[in-house]
Amino acid sequence: MMTEQIKENKGQAQKEEVRIVAFLCNWCSYAGSDAAGTARLRQPENLRIIRVPCSGRINPLFILKAFAMGADGVLVSGCHPNDCHYSDGNFYARRRLEVLKEYLPFIGIDKRRFAYQWVSASEGQKWQRVVVNFVKRIKSINGE
Amino acid sequence: MSKDILNQKLTNEVSSIFDQVDVVVGYCGSNNPLMVNPCFIEEKEGLDQLIFNQLCINNLASYAYKLSKRIKGNIAMVVKPCDSKAIAQLISEGLIERDKFKLLAVQCPGVLDHKKITKALKGARVFSLNIGADKIEVETATGTQELTKDEFYADKCYWCKIYNKPPLHDIFIENDQKFSLEPRDRFEDIQDLEKMSLDEIFSYWQQEFERCIRCYACRNICPLEVCQDQCIVHLDYPNWQSQKVDADENKFFQMIRVMHLAGRCVECGECERVCPQNIGLLKLMKKMNQIIGDIFDYEAGMDIEAKPPLLTYKTLEKNIKEEEL
Ligand code: SF4
Ligand code: SF4
Ligand code: SF4
Repeated sequence: MMTEQIKENKGQAQKEEVRIVAFLCNWCSYAGSDAAGTARLRQPENLRIIRVPCSGRINPLFILKAFAMGADGVLVSGCHPNDCHYSDGNFYARRRLEVLKEYLPFIGIDKRRFAYQWVSASEGQKWQRVVVNFVKRIKSINGE
Repeated sequence: MSKDILNQKLTNEVSSIFDQVDVVVGYCGSNNPLMVNPCFIEEKEGLDQLIFNQLCINNLASYAYKLSKRIKGNIAMVVKPCDSKAIAQLISEGLIERDKFKLLAVQCPGVLDHKKITKALKGARVFSLNIGADKIEVETATGTQELTKDEFYADKCYWCKIYNKPPLHDIFIENDQKFSLEPRDRFEDIQDLEKMSLDEIFSYWQQEFERCIRCYACRNICPLEVCQDQCIVHLDYPNWQSQKVDADENKFFQMIRVMHLAGRCVECGECERVCPQNIGLLKLMKKMNQIIGDIFDYEAGMDIEAKPPLLTYKTLEKNIKEEEL
């Protein structure tokens, strides 16, 4: 399922400049990005969003797989610490994702290509800011 | 070869606990003068075969998990202090039971890497090997050669700090042969790589993994990789990895290993030792261990009470600085 979604992203986004895969937790960030959409906040189109039940569901290998399949950047967003729907999924996620981020340069991937953020369901504006800034950053790394 | 003092001590100690165990896992001689064999002794008569010398590079803890599933009673195991780290790690993760193991830890003088010796001899066939205090005498098809022992230790021995204090053991066997190496920096071998640019390091690994033949020996030997038969590499759905053997896929296989061993790898070096392609796998593991050490102040296998850092969390992480985009 997940790999299909990434693959699709690869085909679909070819026309666009940079390809970004975003993993969003169902309870906060996915709803937050939805809120941004409902509020008609403009967002870059470079993202392919994959909805996951919890940031704790995100295996660091998802991120590496996304890079391996050609993503220029990977973004993870979950509920703020202490707000996890399952109480502590995001705490586990934070450790794994941080470790992965620090590891990336050792295999030749700029660690700025990966970010994890906390965005709640009501933070449509924050979501917009995160996406805009992340896309900007990836573009500048790509030299665009 | 007549028994030296250490081997006599070892046999005595094992005999004294033999009634309490179903099997003794230790080292026995082999036909290859550069190697010893792991052996599994179930009859008292067999104990005479047990040896310990500087060729005992294998980490017998690689058998711990599977044996503990198969054997009803207890298991005695001859370990070097570094090997006992792997057992300790398995216990701390609840994968094996503490009570099931009787660990006989040998005070360690360091072990020799047969790959390095073979390389120095340019692959010449070895008839016999004699390990002296600071020289190794080898008899090959082309004559007798002397090698300086200091250059042929297993990499891990150069930074070992626990050769005489295993983190976990039941019986400690003293050795008159002493450890003689100057301690070096544990992360010395990844420093060169870290000086490279991202592109350079990317192609470095690409080149390394061009050579990988995906034999899975590195995974199969690892004492901590216990889910081999259910490895995600073999899953059809989701299909994490194709069976294609190319640099990208091979590197991804290694990334699976790194992620699954984050905070668990005890740096025993077995993965690298068994790699038929001589790929520098330990560097990949060491980097992860360095990160784990920096953020969580944790080293795998040093404390059976400590929780591996990725199996737990703190609500406030003192060493994680989250970024705001
Ligand atoms: S790392 Fe230490 S304990 Fe292990 S073989 Fe080398 S000297 Fe012995
Ligand atoms: S042992 Fe070496 S060749 Fe075999 S799969 Fe591992 S890295 Fe590849
Ligand atoms: S990954 Fe390699 S060095 Fe680490 S525990 Fe496994 S075999 Fe030993």
